[in-house]
Amino acid sequence: MSETFSRGGRTARRTTAVLAGSLTLMMLTACGGGSLGNAEGDDGASGSADTVTVGLAVPQSGVYAGLGEDMTQGFELYLEQAGNKLSGHEIEVVSADTGEGPQTAIPAVSRLIKQDKADVVAGIVSSATALGIKDTFIQAEVPLIIANAGANDITAEPSPYIWRTSYTNGEVSGAIGKHVAEEVGDGSVYLIAADYAAGQEHVNGFKEQFEAAGGKIAGETFTPFGTTSDWQPYLSKIRSSGASAVFAFYAGSEAANFVQQYSTFGLAKEAQLYGNGFIVEGDVLQAQGKAALGIQTSLNYSPMIDTEINNKFVEAYMEAYDEVPTVYAMQAYDAAAAIEAALESADSTDGPGIAAALSEVGEFENSPRGPWSFNENHDPEQSYYLREVQEVDGKLANVVLNEIQD
Amino acid sequence: MLAWFDANTATILNGLALGAVLFLIAVGLSLVFGTMDVLNLAHGAVSLMGAYVGVAMYGAAPTTGMFFLAMVIAAVIGFAAGGILAGMVSPVRNHLRQALLTLGMALIVAELLQEVFGPEVRSVPVPGFLSSTINLMGNPYPVYRLAMVAAGVVVAIALYIILERTRAGAIVRATVADRAMVEAIGIRTKVVLALVFGGGAALAAVGGLLAAPILGAQPGLDDQILLLALVIVVIGGLGSLRGALLGALVVGQVQTIGVSVVNEFASFLLFAALAAVLLFRPQGLLPARKGAHV
Repeated sequence: MSETFSRGGRTARRTTAVLAGSLTLMMLTACGGGSLGNAEGDDGASGSADTVTVGLAVPQSGVYAGLGEDMTQGFELYLEQAGNKLSGHEIEVVSADTGEGPQTAIPAVSRLIKQDKADVVAGIVSSATALGIKDTFIQAEVPLIIANAGANDITAEPSPYIWRTSYTNGEVSGAIGKHVAEEVGDGSVYLIAADYAAGQEHVNGFKEQFEAAGGKIAGETFTPFGTTSDWQPYLSKIRSSGASAVFAFYAGSEAANFVQQYSTFGLAKEAQLYGNGFIVEGDVLQAQGKAALGIQTSLNYSPMIDTEINNKFVEAYMEAYDEVPTVYAMQAYDAAAAIEAALESADSTDGPGIAAALSEVGEFENSPRGPWSFNENHDPEQSYYLREVQEVDGKLANVVLNEIQD
Repeated sequence: MLAWFDANTATILNGLALGAVLFLIAVGLSLVFGTMDVLNLAHGAVSLMGAYVGVAMYGAAPTTGMFFLAMVIAAVIGFAAGGILAGMVSPVRNHLRQALLTLGMALIVAELLQEVFGPEVRSVPVPGFLSSTINLMGNPYPVYRLAMVAAGVVVAIALYIILERTRAGAIVRATVADRAMVEAIGIRTKVVLALVFGGGAALAAVGGLLAAPILGAQPGLDDQILLLALVIVVIGGLGSLRGALLGALVVGQVQTIGVSVVNEFASFLLFAALAAVLLFRPQGLLPARKGAHV
């Protein structure tokens, strides 16, 4: 103890080594956290030909755990409504925790494929995860239906085993480009996004459509992903750029903090905030509170879409889970619908059989988001909606202004 | 030059606010390391507990009374958590085992918090009497952040006086210098160390509570806070009050004015600063002085 305060270079170096070791330790444990404790369906494949084993690969731990929960709920609601039978086949669901990234997701999906003998797998929140596990599915010849991850690269080279019921990043952000260009007229728009692959894709997708419609850009900034908590320096830059509007891509806690600070520093009064739907989706919107009022976004869904199909879906969802469905829940719901449609026409209920059937499923007419179908890249061909955050019956909601026309 | 300051006043001020709250959190980590020679990796989790005190107590628009009550409760919870941790690590001598033990506790606490408060991000409102903005060179600046600077200054001065000018502080310093001698004059050093640990953790919890309206409260924030605190401790120098203060101010400015000036390198700046300190002054900028001073 007596040397504690008389630290020379050597002890400092030793201390630093302890610090460094501890940090590594933290990261290792963070990575290993996920794959325990969800061993439902340990009996593996059931022999009966009438039973189809569906893997549900969603994050149950880490930053995306909330989205994973939404997906599970959406997926299970569909099965429940179908009496746990899809096209006459009994469905056995086995779930696996994909954690935050590929390190945890690869062992989880390997277990689904090898041990649980899943015939088809749905889920996947993060793009990094999707890119990391995609080849595992192609090699194992098991179809993967991605219910969120939007990276353009996932489906750039379509594989018969990779399908997506969500969107591509470029498209969902590009959808609002023309509208923003029309709104700002002679003014200019500042772009700000989280600095990782998805952030770049969203900004590029927006920029392409926005500039094609004659929009001018005041500047752009990418903020460190996952470590930015204070946006004030960036907000000052936006203010001094003289931009008349801002397009932002953030999700989760970053979206909550960004939108609140955008309002705290008075920018909300000076420059209209645009984005894609993720900046105000689900729990994030309630965390933002009134700071989010007036934000306009583009997305393939809003629970406020006023169609009979969607109203029924929202009502059933609220009854089952006591909360409004998010886009993640809807996309997982539609993944279950895609599996049902494929099983309807499949020659066999193994991986290759379901994959072949998926390419012939045609249009989904009964989706809460409106009619959609898989395109040649296995991404959805769908409508996007222009939404605005408004207060409805004392609660914040994404009110649909209109369906975006190309 | 003057124009530059004009344009960046808000940013510099903001760096001070961030530095102040980081100081509250990091000083406990540093002092516990200095006095007990324990690297407490549960420090971030304790801080997150403070943030969740805000979530649990504030409601939509916290009153002034509620704000101060929440601070007291966060301090009490932090103090208790620190005391428990001190009791757990006291028989463990090896650095790596201490790190493993406190890291394990951190994981358990983080998981429990997620069970109770859910995986989603929770926002914490600014208390009513601090929710206005002042006019700073024509732009609005939130009063709450100015209050954070004030809180940091008050705590820094109070800690200095307690450690350097009071009998209690003298006992703490003596315990560090020669534990056996302090025992010999009839003071139970275990209690002294537990109190220091508890005090440090209480500050971390209050810091977490004060930062919550800006950082929010969500799973994973504990790791972010711990990382920043470790960087501050390494930059400032281990076990020193002045070091923690300087380190926090440096990190605060690096995170604000730094990313504003060289935005392209924003992700690397913090660690570049850390690496520079390790290269040229591995003991930190203001390490604890020889002998028992803070």
